[in-house]
Amino acid sequence: MKKKLLTVLLCVSLVGTLAAGCGGKDKEESSSGDSSDEKKSKVILITMDSTDQHWVSVDRGAKEEADKLGVDYAWMAPDKKDDAQQIERINNAVADGADAIMIAANGPDSITSALDEAKGEGIKIIYVDSPANTEAEATFATDNEAAGRTAGEELIKGLEAAKITEGKIGIIGVNPATQSTVDREKGFRLAFEDSKYELLETQFGEGDAAKSQDIADNYITDGCVGIFGTNEGSTVGAGNAVKGDGGSVIAVGFDKSDAILSLVEEGSLLCVMSQNPDVMGSEGMKAAVKAINGEEITEKDVDTGVSVISKDNVADFQ
Amino acid sequence: MEKKKNGIVKKFLSIRGMGQVVTVTIGLIIMCVIFGILSPSFFSGRNVGNLLRQIAPILLVGIGQSYVMITGNIDLSIGSVLGMSCMISATLMTKGISPTVAVFITLAACLAVGLINGLLVAQFHLPAFIATLGTMQTARGIAQIVNNNYNTDAIGKAAQGFRDFFYYGKLLGIYNTVWITLVLFLVFNFLLSKTRTGRHIYAVGSNIDAAGLSGVNVVATTVKAYLVSSFCAFTVGLITCATAGMGTMDAGNMYEMYAVAASVIGGVSTLGGQGILVGTIIGAAIWGVLQNGLQFAGAPVAMRNIVIGVIVVVSVLLDVIIRTGRKPKLKKSN
Repeated sequence: MKKKLLTVLLCVSLVGTLAAGCGGKDKEESSSGDSSDEKKSKVILITMDSTDQHWVSVDRGAKEEADKLGVDYAWMAPDKKDDAQQIERINNAVADGADAIMIAANGPDSITSALDEAKGEGIKIIYVDSPANTEAEATFATDNEAAGRTAGEELIKGLEAAKITEGKIGIIGVNPATQSTVDREKGFRLAFEDSKYELLETQFGEGDAAKSQDIADNYITDGCVGIFGTNEGSTVGAGNAVKGDGGSVIAVGFDKSDAILSLVEEGSLLCVMSQNPDVMGSEGMKAAVKAINGEEITEKDVDTGVSVISKDNVADFQ
Repeated sequence: MEKKKNGIVKKFLSIRGMGQVVTVTIGLIIMCVIFGILSPSFFSGRNVGNLLRQIAPILLVGIGQSYVMITGNIDLSIGSVLGMSCMISATLMTKGISPTVAVFITLAACLAVGLINGLLVAQFHLPAFIATLGTMQTARGIAQIVNNNYNTDAIGKAAQGFRDFFYYGKLLGIYNTVWITLVLFLVFNFLLSKTRTGRHIYAVGSNIDAAGLSGVNVVATTVKAYLVSSFCAFTVGLITCATAGMGTMDAGNMYEMYAVAASVIGGVSTLGGQGILVGTIIGAAIWGVLQNGLQFAGAPVAMRNIVIGVIVVVSVLLDVIIRTGRKPKLKKSN
């Protein structure tokens, strides 16, 4: 009996911790009140996961703006990129009385019905980083295809400067379902359309730096002259592989982190496309508040842009 | 001379579990030949070096998981302990703590998880699946909290020695990672096959009640197996930290499953009490060769997943068939 009781208690606390953990960073709410009181507007940010530095920066930008504007703000995210979990977060946000939801959609179609339900309740939707295929008030995102193309053009420039006019290029993707990285790869391949370089079959490292590094090592063994990392983890892996090889392979990538900036400084990465997640967060928050107050949003489709970070300007970003 | 030769081969094959190991080794050789034909660079010195270094972490976690599986349990927390090890060591190093001190603090944390796993399973009689599921979630949470839900900064120039020791350096032309794995394999294989602790581990897995009644300390034995598993995860966490030069919160994701695959392909039985670590080497090697070879062959990622899944199922089937097929044969020879 004792053992059974202990087992049951532990299972309950396990499930309880899991549920609390899955709840993400939402704060405890005292009663949501009725719409006639002067209550603060409530905006909830839902990202693809809670650990990628990119989302942490979006949250930071959103929070700063929320504090300035006096908005009730919370960040909810699943711990992994998962459509079902993201849909759960949307439903939680609706139940929590959100006035607006800022969301980075996992995929363009998978969560549209949940978003439509939210809109049905009068909740305003703002897209940050990745839009879905349903109307929203505004979108603040990197034009991933354009940024991928820029990365490709920079790589070609770098290869030509090193007098390498042909050879194999390896791409390290994240997974076939994450639209933003798929778009970057698409843009990258477009940049190589009329060139003599051979683009190999994309390998997927799930954004894990170690797995991506193994993939990059194998590309280097296979004789690749250039490598492209489609997100932060892939780029760290690519840069480290080039560094370990000590040779002449040229790598470009996406996003910035302390490790990536070091690799750019050392020359292991030629350049990286740095997005502006903070801007997505803060501008997204501004638009959310405008939408809640019924004001007009003049710019509905904002490309928050990328900065090309290379050895020349890396010091500015550190 | 003929009789002597037969004697040695028979003795070799009669080691419990060696039959499956021989079967999968033949499979591994065939796989390597096929990949070599598809892509000549597969057999280049450079790729062989890389391949060994890619197999090493899988083998290490495989050793840990094999220990636990032989006791009839499972360790789902391996991946999370790996992540915890990567994050704790990286965070400490970025705060200026010397790599050596950081390593010891990390070791203590990881062994604590192993101890908890062992006690929950053997002392409190929780099913291993549930107990390690709980520690898996908790350890992953700790990995996230350690640096305030951020991946760490680069561990810096001061840690270059650490990075070279665990990943980038070579000794006699072979990567350090491979040497580290080899040494740990020899130690743990000796422990499992030649010491009393090892025999107790097999005993607990074969028949836990009989083992207990025969005077085996089941709790201590189970704890030891889980400690080995956490130690292996800890080591691979350090290797991952050295590889990336930073700590990533989702390091080690799914590694417990790769460890099960490597163990099972190599002949470790899911029912406990059976399996040898030499088999886990082949299991890990098959895993590594598939990842490496399929990339060179330009195969789409779905293909890799399907192939690995099929191989794992076939390996377990082999184990089941051999086990159930063995009994009548024994009776006949008597």
